[in-house]
Amino acid sequence: MLDAKIPAGPLDKKWENYKGHCKLVNPANKRSLEVIIVGTGLAGASAAASLGELGYKVKAFCFQDSPRRAHSIAAQGGINAAKNYQNDGDSVYRLFYDTVKGGDYRAREANVHRLAEVSGNIIDQCVAQGVPFAREYGGLLSNRSFGGTQVQRTFYAAGQTGQQLLLGAYSALERQVALGNVTLYNRHEMLEIVKIDGKARGIIARDLITGKLERHFGHAVLLASGGYGNVFFLSTNAMGSNVTAAWKATRKGAFFGNPCYTQIHPTCIPVSGDHQSKLTLMSESLRNDGRIWVPKKKDDNRKPADIPEDERDYYLERRYPAFGNLVPRDVASRAAKERCDAGYGVGSSKQAVYLDYAAAIERYGKIEAGKRGVHSPSPELVRQLGVEVVAEKYGNLFEMYEKITGENPYEVPMRIYPAVHYTMGGLWVDYELMTTVPGLYALGEANFSDHGANRLGASALMQGLADGYFVIPYTIGNYLADEIRTKAIPTDHPAFVEAEQQVKANIDRLMSIKGTKSVDSFHRRLGKIMWDKCGMARNEKGLKEAIEEIKALRAEFWKDVRIPGTADEFNPELEKAGRVADFLELGELMCIDALNRRESCGGHFREESQTEEGEALRDDANFAYVAAWEYKGDSSYELHKEPLIFEEAKPTQRSYK
Amino acid sequence: MNLTLKVWRQKNKNDQGRFETYQVQDISSEMSFLEMFDVLNERLINEGKEPIAFDHDCREGICGMCSMHINGRAHGPWAGTTTCQLHMRAFKDGDTITVEPWRASAFPVLKDLTVDRGAFDRIIEAGGYISVNTGNAVDANAIPIPKDKADAAFAAAACIGCGACVAACKNSSAMLFVSAKVSQLALLPQGDPERSTRALNMVAQMDKEGFGSCTNTGACEAECPKEISLTNIARLNREFIRSGFTYEK
Amino acid sequence: MKWSQFFNTSIGKKLLVGATGFFLCSFVLVHLAGNIQLLYKDGGKAFNTYAAFMGHNSLIQFIAWGLKIVIVLHALIALQLTFSNRRARPVKYAISAGNQTSSWYSRQMAVMGSILLVFIVIHLADFWAKFHYAELPTISYEANGEPIKDLYSIVWQVFENPVWVIIYVIGMIGLSFHLIHGFKSAFQTFGLNHVKYNGLISFVGVWLFGILIPIGFAIIPVYILFNH
Ligand SMILES: Cc1cc2nc3c(=O)[nH]c(=O)nc-3n(C[C@H](O)[C@H](O)[C@H](O)COP(=O)(O)OP(=O)(O)OC[C@H]3O[C@@H](n4cnc5c(N)ncnc54)[C@H](O)[C@@H]3O)c2cc1C
Ligand code: HEM
Ligand code: SF4
Ligand code: FES
Repeated sequence: MLDAKIPAGPLDKKWENYKGHCKLVNPANKRSLEVIIVGTGLAGASAAASLGELGYKVKAFCFQDSPRRAHSIAAQGGINAAKNYQNDGDSVYRLFYDTVKGGDYRAREANVHRLAEVSGNIIDQCVAQGVPFAREYGGLLSNRSFGGTQVQRTFYAAGQTGQQLLLGAYSALERQVALGNVTLYNRHEMLEIVKIDGKARGIIARDLITGKLERHFGHAVLLASGGYGNVFFLSTNAMGSNVTAAWKATRKGAFFGNPCYTQIHPTCIPVSGDHQSKLTLMSESLRNDGRIWVPKKKDDNRKPADIPEDERDYYLERRYPAFGNLVPRDVASRAAKERCDAGYGVGSSKQAVYLDYAAAIERYGKIEAGKRGVHSPSPELVRQLGVEVVAEKYGNLFEMYEKITGENPYEVPMRIYPAVHYTMGGLWVDYELMTTVPGLYALGEANFSDHGANRLGASALMQGLADGYFVIPYTIGNYLADEIRTKAIPTDHPAFVEAEQQVKANIDRLMSIKGTKSVDSFHRRLGKIMWDKCGMARNEKGLKEAIEEIKALRAEFWKDVRIPGTADEFNPELEKAGRVADFLELGELMCIDALNRRESCGGHFREESQTEEGEALRDDANFAYVAAWEYKGDSSYELHKEPLIFEEAKPTQRSYK
Repeated sequence: MNLTLKVWRQKNKNDQGRFETYQVQDISSEMSFLEMFDVLNERLINEGKEPIAFDHDCREGICGMCSMHINGRAHGPWAGTTTCQLHMRAFKDGDTITVEPWRASAFPVLKDLTVDRGAFDRIIEAGGYISVNTGNAVDANAIPIPKDKADAAFAAAACIGCGACVAACKNSSAMLFVSAKVSQLALLPQGDPERSTRALNMVAQMDKEGFGSCTNTGACEAECPKEISLTNIARLNREFIRSGFTYEK
Repeated sequence: MKWSQFFNTSIGKKLLVGATGFFLCSFVLVHLAGNIQLLYKDGGKAFNTYAAFMGHNSLIQFIAWGLKIVIVLHALIALQLTFSNRRARPVKYAISAGNQTSSWYSRQMAVMGSILLVFIVIHLADFWAKFHYAELPTISYEANGEPIKDLYSIVWQVFENPVWVIIYVIGMIGLSFHLIHGFKSAFQTFGLNHVKYNGLISFVGVWLFGILIPIGFAIIPVYILFNH
């Protein structure tokens, strides 16, 4: 059985105890210990900066041209922290509880509690770095509320919170670069883990400009390489987000945890045609004021404004009167899919629902008019004032929508549809964030993490920074303290040579196929299989079909993909090919995991497991475990279970009615 | 719609480079500019030719990676927009579109439309940070910051480091980029302790990288996708003067 | 940072251009006030007396030499910056934004400045050098007053020739566009950019320095051409 190495003692004392008793490395020894960090998103950059500050010799890698471009930059809404600045009853315990419940009781309690404990420190650290969070007139920090909680604990910087947090971490990282503690390897892609005597000891990376393969030694290797939502081809993730680093680790013996847990975000701009390359998120905050509806009549082709009030179906308000438009993401997404599948969708594709601000504009307009002492304002005035308020709150989002669709959302309701957004699954890690390979760690979205089967809004940023700033600096010492006698291993060690040869052979194999179809064409086809059969709703038959289809697609890929150019130059097609090759393996594992989990929980909805009203039905008796998969060769995986024991947050059925 | 594209092709840093002309057919006005390039690249691959290399990642205007000079305009004709946010609605059937990489000696072309913007990272390394080790911070609400200051700092911090300001400036000056970071940190009390050295060191590094000097033409502000204001450049000048005249070292 | 380093940075050099530019702005203002006396039909009394005073007051002579150094400094540093700015973009764009993102005169400061420089050289050779080093007819306005040089008549003679008038008008067009951008730009260079004052700065830059002063200068030769 898997040992998560959770410290003994009461839940709220575990981290305290751990910190008090873990091994330390003295400063002189730190200087001779080398740490490799793959990824410079929130998790990677914060870890690299913090470990650099401690005196370790750090090498940080990213495939973009600068660490500042990591996908974390795109996060919009905010970051949670149990500061209780609003005096509304928040506490570490509540943040912990909300997160476990929001994750539909599939997360590890000890990790989540630690996350909640350090959440406040994150905000302190970021403010000290100069992150310009939103503030009130008194000069103190402002908060907003997010889905799945009843307190205001989300800190934000307009709709660009991820950007500001990442730039904070990036500047801390660049400072360590200037001080000589961190060396950056931009436009480098890690393509293999090097293991010596069972321990992770380095990586093979490809310089993406010259195509040269490089060997890098490290006493420990940290993967902070982000999530794998792009297995669906279309997602809200950045184009380059991929699973390669995590997948190479899986093939080298790290277990992959809960691969099937994916989060589908309800409010994204719908697909407009076959050319679509990615999907754009419209922040969850829009559901605070917007009302979601579809026509009551099937195939209603009238303009939204021509559909009278009583012919509209505000289905979230109808189905979930208690939470209305603010139900959690998984629930809102499934409800939208249900309506569209039943034929009530809108827009040319019929795969969209309306997110309408007309009512909010009117409501705010009336309030504003009232504030100004206008008692029977004209509809024009109400509208004008209302638009002003809405623009102040959501202006940048509305603008973004208009740029993409060419429609003015102040006048016509926005069309939205769910899209793949986040992956709760990832490399299995223990309490110390170490994978099943000694010396190999996973941080941020790359690990299977603290979010169980569904992540709450504004919690990924918190987790990434918690891992990097406040967890790994302690836990890595506990491992490296025993490594101080290990001299840097020269990279002509046979393990490095062999790993490099393996990478080279893989690249050569890809380049030699010289088939007829582009990498993207395979990626699209994989995405379609995943979306149709392992997307918002899954069933046994579909998953079984998907597994076969993916196998066939993979075989075809390796026979018929066409990669132009050569391997010893800047070749984006080759990069994509390597990533899609890994997605083609991961996709299969996701289906295997989804097939195995015959319950519905969080983002994972098995049609066989639902209540009479069509709500997700968990099966705690049989599935209260983390599914950690061990790679055993082509298409062959062994399931290891980490039982989940809930001491504090006792599982109950989630209800939002 | 059908379009003629004139695209800069350059094999690598040392290659001379030249324009190549491509015809693209049946482009939907709903496509983004980069999706139009995807379509073209897909075709080039199917024809056995090398696709056009260009930088991009988030495709929603925030990572700062995309960087095309389109018909003489950094990020194309729309104001306050990155290349990835530009949509084909901006063009008409039959248009000829010329696409070039950012051009500046400090941004050498790596391949086709891809350039090396490492100079920006090195400028940040020279002082674009607040020196606070993890764990050193006081409570986040210990120092109140007036809302207008915080908002101005945020507006400056919105810079995505895309380099359009450099690309748009006739002098290839990086002043808007540098001023955005200096302003952000100068506006916040947390940035105060390193105020003197920051401006001096960042400007010195900017000069070392081979960017031109500012002649206040305002092209950077006009092209900046995040609409970073020229007032930041004025603030940088003030910070620089203040430090230059008072800092003892 | 040492002074030598400080003034060798891009901003440091710009500060020198701006400071000298401001000084030159104040000069053109004073210079015009003096020259406008050329329009008096008083046989040159006011103007020649003024010129004689300026030519003999040692403080003013000191400033006048300083002025020439300032012009040379201003031009040298500004042109050096212009050339290094050009080097910052070795490969030019095939298509550039033109006037869509900036005004043409803000991009042509060096050209306008160079026109000015040529003009200033001609102007100095013409009047200042003559006034100081050539034999000029003299005139005295008061009974047994000391005879003073009659620059006034020289000026009136010169501008009988339309070629000279055209040269002067071109020079002033150069000055006009140089200052429409330059005046405001120098404020920005010194960091003086504030919503409450930008309107005023723009107004003074465009109307006083960019239009009134150059027109004031240009009117003198034109007026003389048509009135001699
Ligand atoms: C549109 C959008 C909005 C979001 N909004 C929010 C929000 O409001 N609040 C919230 O909490 N969360 C939000 N999230 C989720 C959150 O942004 C991410 O989960 C989080 O930023 C992930 O951070 P990370 O550091 O783990 O990885 P990333 O930021 O994805 O970084 C991955 C890094 O790994 C590198 N890398 C990957 N593979 C390799 C390789 N093989 N070799 C070398 N380098 C490699 C990349 O270059 C990159 O630097 C949002 C996500 C999206 C898509
Ligand atoms: C009466 C004469 C002149 C006046 C009043 C004047 C004034 C100014 C001013 C106010 C500026 C703006 C400085 C700044 O932006 O900080 C400027 C800039 C400049 N001047 Fe002059 N100038 C004069 C003559 C010249 C001459 C003779 C040249 C020679 C070539 C010249 C070339 C330039 C250049 C190249 C700039 C820089 C443009 C810029 O940075 O925007 N100027 N001048
Ligand atoms: S200032 Fe504007 S144009 Fe320049 S790098 Fe930043 S975002 Fe891009
Ligand atoms: S691709 Fe990220 S800003 Fe354009």
